[in-house]
Amino acid sequence: MLRRRLGISFWLAIAWLALMAFVALFAPILPLTDPTQVAFGGPRESPSLDAWFGTDALGRDVFSRTMHGARISLAVGGFAIAFGMLIGGGLGILAGYFRGLLDQTVRFAFFVLLSFPALVLAILITATLERSLLVVSLTIGILAVAPVGLLSRASTLVFAEREFVAAARVLGARHGRIIMRELLPNVVIPMGALALLGMAIAVVAEGSLAFLGLSVAGDDSISWGKMIVDGSGLRDLQNAAHVALFPVLVMFVTVLALNFAGDRIRQHFDVKELAF
Amino acid sequence: MLSVRDLQVRFATERGTVNAVNGVSFDLHEGKTLAIVGESGSGKSVTAKTLMNLLPRSAHVSGEVTFNGQDVRALAAAGTKHFFGVQMAMVFQDPMTSLNPVKKVGEQIAETLRYHLGRSRSEALSEAQNLLTTVGTPEPERRISQYPHELSGGLRQRVVIAMALACQPRLLIADEPTTAVDVTVQKHLLDMLDELRRERGMALILITHDLGVAHGRADDVAVMYAGRLVEVAAAETLFEDMRHPYTEALLRSIPRINDPAHQRLDPIPGNPPELIDPPDACSFAPRCDYAHADCLDGVPELSGQLGQHRFACLHPTGGEDSISSNRDTPRSGRD
Amino acid sequence: MRFLARRLLLLVAVLLAVTFCGFSAMNLLGDPLTNVVGVLAELDCDAIAAGTAPDTTVDAASSDCDTVAAARAQYHLDRAVPMRYLLWLGDLAIGDFGTSFQNDQPVSAVLREKLPETLLLLVMAQIVSLGIAVPWGVIAAYKANRAFDRGSTVASFGLLSVPNFALGVILLYLLALRWQIFPSAYESGDFTSRLFSLILPALTLGLPLAASYQRLLRTDLITTLQEDYVHMARAKGLPPMRIMFRHALRPSMFSVVTVFGVSTGTLIGGSLIVERIFGIPGIGREIVTAVVRDDFPVVLAIVMVVAIAFVVLNFLVDLLYSWLDPRVRTS
Repeated sequence: MLRRRLGISFWLAIAWLALMAFVALFAPILPLTDPTQVAFGGPRESPSLDAWFGTDALGRDVFSRTMHGARISLAVGGFAIAFGMLIGGGLGILAGYFRGLLDQTVRFAFFVLLSFPALVLAILITATLERSLLVVSLTIGILAVAPVGLLSRASTLVFAEREFVAAARVLGARHGRIIMRELLPNVVIPMGALALLGMAIAVVAEGSLAFLGLSVAGDDSISWGKMIVDGSGLRDLQNAAHVALFPVLVMFVTVLALNFAGDRIRQHFDVKELAF
Repeated sequence: MLSVRDLQVRFATERGTVNAVNGVSFDLHEGKTLAIVGESGSGKSVTAKTLMNLLPRSAHVSGEVTFNGQDVRALAAAGTKHFFGVQMAMVFQDPMTSLNPVKKVGEQIAETLRYHLGRSRSEALSEAQNLLTTVGTPEPERRISQYPHELSGGLRQRVVIAMALACQPRLLIADEPTTAVDVTVQKHLLDMLDELRRERGMALILITHDLGVAHGRADDVAVMYAGRLVEVAAAETLFEDMRHPYTEALLRSIPRINDPAHQRLDPIPGNPPELIDPPDACSFAPRCDYAHADCLDGVPELSGQLGQHRFACLHPTGGEDSISSNRDTPRSGRD
Repeated sequence: MRFLARRLLLLVAVLLAVTFCGFSAMNLLGDPLTNVVGVLAELDCDAIAAGTAPDTTVDAASSDCDTVAAARAQYHLDRAVPMRYLLWLGDLAIGDFGTSFQNDQPVSAVLREKLPETLLLLVMAQIVSLGIAVPWGVIAAYKANRAFDRGSTVASFGLLSVPNFALGVILLYLLALRWQIFPSAYESGDFTSRLFSLILPALTLGLPLAASYQRLLRTDLITTLQEDYVHMARAKGLPPMRIMFRHALRPSMFSVVTVFGVSTGTLIGGSLIVERIFGIPGIGREIVTAVVRDDFPVVLAIVMVVAIAFVVLNFLVDLLYSWLDPRVRTS
């Protein structure tokens, strides 16, 4: 049933994402060359059987680097959206359930958060703190808080009006129980339906920070954004476009798969998208 | 002036083909009023939209529509400019929705004048003001620069009529022009339409579900049911000597001013039939008080010739004989 | 009028909150003095002034100590945080953004020099995206569910999945390096050459935006085209494209206008990247450089200017509604 409604292209997208997740998890123990090994091949070699995606300016294996790059991109993407859902989703439910002053405060906070252009806010945070994996994930997670929070608040408002919540209240259930047992399961569905779409945005945001050299610091931290900026110097593009274009391609397909699968799931659960 | 021959309109939908209009033919002469009467879903609005070339692309149309000798459907297909809106114009049912909410009333009237007749902006606006006066709008100079939401329903319908009349059309199609308007202004609007028609010598197709609206205004009346014409006649003939049970039922279902108090109204039992895969039978038979077994053996044809009193019924009511008379299909009605 | 007054009140509240958040980030995340002057914060200036410092740091010149003192004064670091914020806000109001730690220039001068380039880029990007999206959306709605429309759905989905740094690199590679239609980098000089060299960056920013505008416009247009007044316009005998542009387009712009403000935020983020790819001397490149060099006064100033502009823009967008729909005005 689910299979038929979602269609073959949905499962293709999921398969790609599973592959990327697998590669990201097991990159260190997969039979890949050392991504940091300088002069694995000559500088800027075209793709060959030895180096499927060619080599970069320092002679490093672009294929191996691209695969390892999935680690940071997906980790940050996944962690950020999880954080956004935990904090934003939680605040949204509380605001939508209790209404009143709490609701107004939370909404104002969301409004303020949304008043910063996302990347600018991210830069402000990363500028003041050490750029570790945790900080970068949290930073992008904070960007997700307001949109996710508004969504969960909106769906809480809908469900809080329904009979089963009123019934629970009449039966004397405590707030905590109503929220956990009655509201959460219903609000998680629309939020979860948007998780993949949110992750696509988070992956792009991490890539953007990395492109600017503001993502996870350290020479051995490989990320798609960083690879693309390294390969997009005019000389590299001119003579060895593959250095930039392969990570671009892999990243594009990943984001496309996230968007596509996410959009299908959203349609499946009939969740209206918020315009952010 | 307008002649429609064997008009058929079908829509392909997911559930099957909808036969919205089936073999409709009629004539309308210069300066005359034709009332097309029927319940919602009878195909009367689709007929009107077909004449104005307003059907969606999914509609499949066949048959012939000629207007002063011109093939209207060919004109539409060729994208001929300055025909629709100039020769033929239309007034829609709901004045709340048929005016563009973001444009000033004056601009909406002036638009046709500017596009079709090449008037300048200021000429068109002053003409629009005159038109508003013609349709009985108080303070036309103020209305010009108002938005539709600032006007009452009756005023809006006057604006819609002014818009339709702007280019002096020879034929005006009014699709339930008063249904969505307050009862108190319905008669005003209808009388005004009638008067404008007479003054300008234009022909009018008045589409309504209310036989009473047709009474005293229409020269001819065509009753539609399930996409077909079931009775067509000159107005006096029809009201005095209706033959089709559906026409009779329609008339009985509306209150009349000279009815005795507490007179029971007789609503027509049941619902109009589905237009998807209609059975090969008289479509009114299931709701008809006079239905016989043979009513289910094929769709009855319209009797008589164009221009005569015609009806499509095997067991017509009224006439010289009693209702229950079981005679052969009449070849022609009385004129 | 009450509507307007309430909106204005909200605007002020949000502006205060936004500036407070930005200011707090500097004062609460990490040591404020370090944030402002970087490693110089570790200078023991009292000791240097008293001449009791170890020899190694005496060389670090008293000019550095002057910098530290200036920064303390500029950000009122000897006051409590709320007071600090108010004083700083006062400075901001008179256009005093402090001094760039990197090159001793007043930050306001940096802004004055860099802001116009970014503004020009943003305006061009919006023009490009609307210029593409409006005809694209109109044709897609006109041919709804036919081949063109289906193709454009796929195309816009793809465009929306390309990160803008990736799109920038692809466009740079194809249009500037392979086919050499556009210059590969920003060209200063007269206005036309600047404009010309900004076309590629504007396309990079504008194409994905055009795709999302197009989706919104198409959906709204299809709804509008079902409206009675569109039928009425057809009955008036107006040609299809005139109906599209004169009757259907404006009432179909609500979604586009709604995201116009938000999308400008995305564009500002994108301009950081695009300015870097194409070497445009705007505030986007400036803020990245400043972050890398820990030039906090510049970072804070740019964040503030951008956030304020963004908030004000969204406020103006709200006002635009009443032009789009006269019914809003009276309600």
